[in-house]
Amino acid sequence: MTVSKAFWKIVLKNIGTIITYTIILIVFGSLNMSSDSTTQFEADKPSIVIFNHDEERGITKGFIKYLSENAEIKDEYEDDDKLKDALFYENVVAVVDIPKDFSQELALNKNPELKLRSSSGYAAEVAKVLVRQYMSTAKSYASLNLSEDDLAKKVESTLSDSTEIEIKSKVDTSKYSRATRYFSFANYSILACVITVICLIMSSFNRVEIRKRNLVGSIELKRMNGILLRNSCLYSAMMWIVYVVLGFIVVGLNEMWSIHGLLYAVNSLIFCVCATTIAYLISSIVKGIGAVNGIMNVIALGSSFLCGAFVPAEYLPDSVLTFAHILPSFYFIDTNNKIMAIEDYGSSSLLPIFINMAVIVGFCIVFIIASNIITHKKERLA
Amino acid sequence: MFWHSFKYAFKTLIKNRALVFWTLAFPFILAILFNLAFSRLHDYDVFEAFDVAVIDDAEYKKAEIFSEAFKSLSEGDERLFNTQYIDKDEAEKKLDADEIVGYVYVEGGDAKVKIRQNGTNQTILALAVEQISQGVKIVNDVAMTQIARSAGQKVDVEKIYRDAVATVTDAEPNIKDDSRVMNIVSIEFYTLIAMACMQGAMMSAELMNRCLPNISNRGKRVAIAPTRKGVIVLSNLLAGYVMLVFSVCALIAFMRFVLGVEFGDNMGLIMLLAAVGSLTATMMGMFLSIVLKTNESAKNVIILIVTMAGCLFAGMFGVTKGFFDNVAPVVNKISPVGQITDGYYALFYYDDMARFTTDIVSLLIVAGVFLALSIRGLRRQRYDSI
Repeated sequence: MTVSKAFWKIVLKNIGTIITYTIILIVFGSLNMSSDSTTQFEADKPSIVIFNHDEERGITKGFIKYLSENAEIKDEYEDDDKLKDALFYENVVAVVDIPKDFSQELALNKNPELKLRSSSGYAAEVAKVLVRQYMSTAKSYASLNLSEDDLAKKVESTLSDSTEIEIKSKVDTSKYSRATRYFSFANYSILACVITVICLIMSSFNRVEIRKRNLVGSIELKRMNGILLRNSCLYSAMMWIVYVVLGFIVVGLNEMWSIHGLLYAVNSLIFCVCATTIAYLISSIVKGIGAVNGIMNVIALGSSFLCGAFVPAEYLPDSVLTFAHILPSFYFIDTNNKIMAIEDYGSSSLLPIFINMAVIVGFCIVFIIASNIITHKKERLA
Repeated sequence: MFWHSFKYAFKTLIKNRALVFWTLAFPFILAILFNLAFSRLHDYDVFEAFDVAVIDDAEYKKAEIFSEAFKSLSEGDERLFNTQYIDKDEAEKKLDADEIVGYVYVEGGDAKVKIRQNGTNQTILALAVEQISQGVKIVNDVAMTQIARSAGQKVDVEKIYRDAVATVTDAEPNIKDDSRVMNIVSIEFYTLIAMACMQGAMMSAELMNRCLPNISNRGKRVAIAPTRKGVIVLSNLLAGYVMLVFSVCALIAFMRFVLGVEFGDNMGLIMLLAAVGSLTATMMGMFLSIVLKTNESAKNVIILIVTMAGCLFAGMFGVTKGFFDNVAPVVNKISPVGQITDGYYALFYYDDMARFTTDIVSLLIVAGVFLALSIRGLRRQRYDSI
């Protein structure tokens, strides 16, 4: 009872840390959530600013109409500095400057210069493709010596022919993208909360003067270690419950109250256990309390960056992902992604998920063994 | 006495392992992690061809212009697609197994695409097929118009089609690209430099705590020592400042020469901004240490919150600086982290120096305000009992 009391006293002392990391999870986990439907094909619409110096007729009118239909036209940028900033932050991905007599010159099969400024990235490339496609089509038809209006009609008619896109998947797998992002981001919060608190507790109990006092106390060392382990597991379980309940609130009841939701919860429970074993391993290695925060940050931030908690794994370099295979966070986040992608609950869909969970359990066993070996060695040396 | 105090303050700082970790090692670790995590976002112009399939049946073979155009996108070093020519059953299996992004087939003379989900590569495939289909329509339109115009004359249909294909292929629009491309990820590194500067606040707060009688025993000794308090405070702050500038400059050099982060070419101004940012952080640490009547760890937590909130608004955690500049423009104008980040951004992205100069002047004003308030707080401190 005394040991448990001391344990929870230290937990309460660190309640600020727990609340901080939980708020980080809620704020940044929520900020990164947005869901797209995959049952219908939707090309992304880039944001474009148009400066038109020509009369709005013929090809110029058609060009503006085409861009309005295929892109989001923004007209709130008059100040050039604001426009520059907007291009940098990709609030606007392209600026099109239509020169005077553009329509007339194009109809005469001349080649008027169109000025284009774009930002970097995928949306900017889509915007460039749209501009180039319209201009190439207009230039091709200009060889037929049509009037401005006829040329515009021809271009419009051709560009209105869209390709039929069929989507094979009938299950809207991205419905669970919010839950995936939430639980993947939780990688950081779980590691931070569990490692910090358990390491601080274990370091407090391992301080030489406290340890000596405990050794001469009435409670056997083995029993005390057992109590600490039980309470650590209880603390991790409590953190897990908090994060799952928050998941219901942040992600939504519909997504979480399902077999998908159950799988996310089970996966995070296994990862919480793994985080507890990591904390035990660290506390068996680290001597002072002062080093705990530094080590925790390196482990939690490092694994979150390298395994795809902050930046989705598809954007990470292959070499980083290959290296990430040696970290349990990789399997935790990969399992979340796999849960999102499952369309049925057959064995072929679930097997890769269970294999990943088994790998995390394997990591737990390795960490426990390593922690025991180090502790025994230290005890022998003492 | 000044240099004696400076030397010992410097030695004490170096021996404080936690402080050395947070001010020296941690920004380097974050820089490496940022570089690893964002390196593919950084290489936005590097495009990798992806796997697609084509249903190579009689209808596809019949659509000659389309199939030739699609083939041209699947050849050479700059190809868009790694194309496999297979039958529909096999394409379905490969699509199910995510071995291909999608497949293209021709039905009723029209090219169609089948994919499994939305995505960047799927959009590129759809756009490419759409552009080729539209190109085929233009060729047919141009050729048919020429044939109609030659009514009554002997026409060489094949030549007309060849000319039409040439017209479409050679239709190169006159687009002048005035883009000044800068990677948005650079801002993450700029905020990191700002954060590294602001860690100096923790350093100067630590040094000030050692000079304040109501905080530490050393402070009590300093208070009753015959040496002028100003000399001790100044030498301590200078020691912290020198160490901070050294660490921030080392971080910038590491980012610039090892990680390849873009800062522009003017290294002198880059270092000047680091020096001014570090000065503001040092003054901020001194000010907070004096005005906050609480223990050391509580002061550190408050400094950390101020720094991290500044980093959030400056764009370190995903939500862009641009977003906060729009919703709360004042925040980044008064926050030292926002000003330092904006300074690096202006230095690289803007041609004129007006914005950079504004940032430097604002930082100096903020530093001056902190210094003035700190002097006011430190002067004539007398204690009846501590």
